[in-house]
Amino acid sequence: MLRRSPAKIWRSRDILYRLKYATCKSCGKAFYPPRARCVYCGSQDVEYRYSSGRGVVKEYTILYQTPSGFGDLSPLIIGLVELEEGFSMLAQIVDVEPDKITPGMRVEAVLRRLVVDGSTGLIYYGIKFAPAEGMR
Amino acid sequence: MKSFIAASGVIKIDRYYEKNLKTLAREALESIEKSYAEDLVPDTLIISSMTPELVDYQSSIADLIADHLGLRKIRVYRVEAGEASGLAAVQLAYSLTTSKASKRVLVIGVDKGSEMSVSRMAGVYGSIKDSEYMQLQGITPLAEAAILAKLYMKKYNYSYEDLFIWPYTMHQNSLETSHAQLRFRISPDSYKDSPVLAEPLRLLDSYPLGDGAAALYIVSEDAIERSSDAIVSIEGFGGSVDSKDIASREDPLLFRSVRESWEEALSMAGIERRKIKYIEIHDNYTPNAFIILESMGLAERGEAPERLENSSIEGVHVNLSGGLKARGNPWGATGIYQIHEVFQALLGSFKSSILGEIEYGAVHNMNGTGDSSYVIILKRVR
Ligand SMILES: [Zn+2]
Repeated sequence: MLRRSPAKIWRSRDILYRLKYATCKSCGKAFYPPRARCVYCGSQDVEYRYSSGRGVVKEYTILYQTPSGFGDLSPLIIGLVELEEGFSMLAQIVDVEPDKITPGMRVEAVLRRLVVDGSTGLIYYGIKFAPAEGMR
Repeated sequence: MKSFIAASGVIKIDRYYEKNLKTLAREALESIEKSYAEDLVPDTLIISSMTPELVDYQSSIADLIADHLGLRKIRVYRVEAGEASGLAAVQLAYSLTTSKASKRVLVIGVDKGSEMSVSRMAGVYGSIKDSEYMQLQGITPLAEAAILAKLYMKKYNYSYEDLFIWPYTMHQNSLETSHAQLRFRISPDSYKDSPVLAEPLRLLDSYPLGDGAAALYIVSEDAIERSSDAIVSIEGFGGSVDSKDIASREDPLLFRSVRESWEEALSMAGIERRKIKYIEIHDNYTPNAFIILESMGLAERGEAPERLENSSIEGVHVNLSGGLKARGNPWGATGIYQIHEVFQALLGSFKSSILGEIEYGAVHNMNGTGDSSYVIILKRVR
């Protein structure tokens, strides 16, 4: 079901693998994925940076009704993660039992398999979050 | 210039393995023809549909359906704005008829939500989110709604059981809605026993996957039939957007697209909110329903679950059809069903035992988790 061209994944590498985000020089807020205008104040005066990948879990859910292609990893733990650069993003949380996750838990970005394309066998990778060093 | 709804028709939302998109569209049109005394002579056809490419490998759906319906000498368009395609299509019909580009517009919303397995359809629905971000992570609007539910419950001190009032009321409402997909009561036990889809949300917090088709006949002022004894006008509309993901919103428990489209529609109609006695909202997930009502200002922030009484809040009857939970949510057709319900209510032929005679009604149609919203206000003028 999930069919993506290799070119598309390559094109998205800064967002998928390096957590490229935007920070607004007008209102000071940061956001992900990067957009040309600030999502908070509309300013075009934005600057692109790369995140350290360190953050905290603000909230999470355990997703049982997963889209096809994600079945072998199901259920997925989906977290709302706030990065230390001030922006928040949604991502999978791994390497931890759901009952051990608490809001405020420190996490860090890890590169993991996201999904396998059923028709070509291509494996797509991307950022997930695991408990930070010392928390595991 | 104003634009008028002359007739509407729908089919029951269901799983139609034996019917394709063309057949469903034709049946919606036949449903109009049964109720409308005059001949339908549209000069324009607008198809509102979200997923024909993904579900049916079918692009170019508008001229295909025109051909199947036997329509000739007609201009065709297809509108796609996710789950909110329906109201976007009606707003286009308004623009065409008020600008005199068209006189009589047939709008048909059609989608097949139950065509493939639940996981395939979860992927199809998830395609409304950014394909370079959320889709690749497997994160769907359902996951976002589950996170919103937890944020909402914590911030305003509700238990999961407190949220039950919404699905309970919706299923109660659908018992008398003949076109509803699900027409049964639910008990607190059935709620708690239904499978978890994304904790804490369960099956009854979501909407059933179904196929549907609904049609409207929208005409310009000079095309109103003299014989019509009832006339309903589109008095106002609005539309707006928000960040695609709840993570990049300043306040995820407020849907900015809802607030902005609601205020824009009210201002265009030039009326006080209190004039509106009936509204259908796009309650795709339970927490979203409360957030929508609060974003419209029908309840203070965090108070919607407490203020709701017998499907009424602040003097407005909400989702008497049963809403997305019980009437159903066939995506591109949903907004057309909603308009059909409010239009028929204004004519006195839908839920009139509850509503009596009303002058104003409204519809809110939304994509995803408030990604975009549209509002239309209808008025019975004769
Ligand atoms: Zn800004």
